[in-house]
Amino acid sequence: MISSYFKKPLEQFILSGLGNVPIVSFYAKTRGWPFVIAWIHRISGMLMLLYIGIHIYTLSFLAIPDAYDAKMKLFGYFPFSFLEWLLALPVIFHALNGGRLILYEIFGIRNDESMIRWVLGLSATYFLLLGLLMVMGDQTVSPIFFWLIIFIVGILPGYLVTSKIWNIAGSFAWKLQRITGAYLFVMIPAHLLFMHLQPAVGHEAGIVIARMQNGFIKFIDLTLVIGVLYHAGYGLTAIIRDYLRSRLLQTGLVFLVFLIMAVLGWIGIKLTLSI
Amino acid sequence: MSNENSHSQVYKLTLKIKRYDPEEKRSWVQAYNLEAGRILRFVDLFRQINDEQDPTLAWNSSCEHGQCGTCSVKVNGKPLLACELLVENAVQYFQTRTFTIEPLNVAPAVRDLVVDLAAAYERIDRVQPYIIQPGSPPSEQDAYPIMPQSLDHYVNATRCINCFCCASACISSHNSFLGPNAMLATIVRVMDPREQEKAKRLKILYSEQGVYRCHSSRACSFVCPKEIDVAHFIALAKEGRILNKS
Repeated sequence: MISSYFKKPLEQFILSGLGNVPIVSFYAKTRGWPFVIAWIHRISGMLMLLYIGIHIYTLSFLAIPDAYDAKMKLFGYFPFSFLEWLLALPVIFHALNGGRLILYEIFGIRNDESMIRWVLGLSATYFLLLGLLMVMGDQTVSPIFFWLIIFIVGILPGYLVTSKIWNIAGSFAWKLQRITGAYLFVMIPAHLLFMHLQPAVGHEAGIVIARMQNGFIKFIDLTLVIGVLYHAGYGLTAIIRDYLRSRLLQTGLVFLVFLIMAVLGWIGIKLTLSI
Repeated sequence: MSNENSHSQVYKLTLKIKRYDPEEKRSWVQAYNLEAGRILRFVDLFRQINDEQDPTLAWNSSCEHGQCGTCSVKVNGKPLLACELLVENAVQYFQTRTFTIEPLNVAPAVRDLVVDLAAAYERIDRVQPYIIQPGSPPSEQDAYPIMPQSLDHYVNATRCINCFCCASACISSHNSFLGPNAMLATIVRVMDPREQEKAKRLKILYSEQGVYRCHSSRACSFVCPKEIDVAHFIALAKEGRILNKS
């Protein structure tokens, strides 16, 4: 049965609601819940890639601080701030579910039902926490202190994954995708949290520029730009290879993805280094 | 339905079967209404259609005991063995008495529910599903003994019957992935201590069409009629743990 995968009353209640969504119900019944979650992982990844393009484009306006401030003013209004909050859903789900996949594939954790519960529970917690911080909008923290701690925490899963898979005879590109995933698993949710401590952190050009002028923050931003674009590019390429039959079309689209990532990377790196 | 709680319970069913005529290269869905007992299997329903309504309906089966994998079809989208699906289980699982039956999408259809198994097996043949280079038995023994502790690690994977249900359900489709069952066929031989040709197998396993095309959606394990946790074995290969067990 569709609900047999999860047994607890709250889960049964949620699943009975999801069971009324035809496409979800169909795939849960014919392929299982992890398959549905795999598709949500892909969709959330694609949504984030779309956002990254917009994000890098918006940040490029930092070269003209007044233009940046004018654009960011929009994000202070309700519909946009609400959308920014909603963005946390694909971000945290993708990060935690990616963590679950790494545990399953690389660390031999097979208690997948339990891991899925943790993914969903922690995603909801993070989402509400971020909403609370956005409503409060008056938190401050030293950027160096915050990012130093987060960087150390982010490097740890990256190192653990690297040491586990480095010597396996296999695809270097795949290994790099998992390593960047382990690093971003910590860094991206932390980035979103940091940017919403108070509106000025991300919305005022003067504050953003002052932060980005610090060498350590530049380093962090560069690792984020490179890590995110590589990870997203690999993910998109995997989807293209999965579903396109024509080798010519596959090669063409993979090259296009590489080109888009290279352009976004060039804009992002240039911006980070020039400020 | 009559006689709700008895062995003679009869279900009124509608089977919407995807048909394909290779001569005219035409596909269509044909509905058959039939009455069937609760413990009849779907292969019995196909036979009933042949006997009572339409002798031209083509479908595949061989052992009809869940051992050969030739009767695989998709019922309401789920890949399964038609010889193992009882009417009452299908009604209970899908909560309907109308079933859409399609051939698996792992190879072109030859006619109706029959797919080109030779084309499907081409992927399996590429991983050489046999011991390529057997090791010599220890001295003074005719047989190569496998310790139970060693066998335990992969014995479940040896139950694969190549029914292709996993390949049909896989999120990676089967354009550039050799498929879960092909991966399983080579993983089981890497884990088999009798096999000496590991390098060639690992090359296929870790190739562009190998385990890295798997995204751990675990649909393979979900649909496997033999209840093999296929995703577990593929994850073992990604983790590099298959060689250590041999």
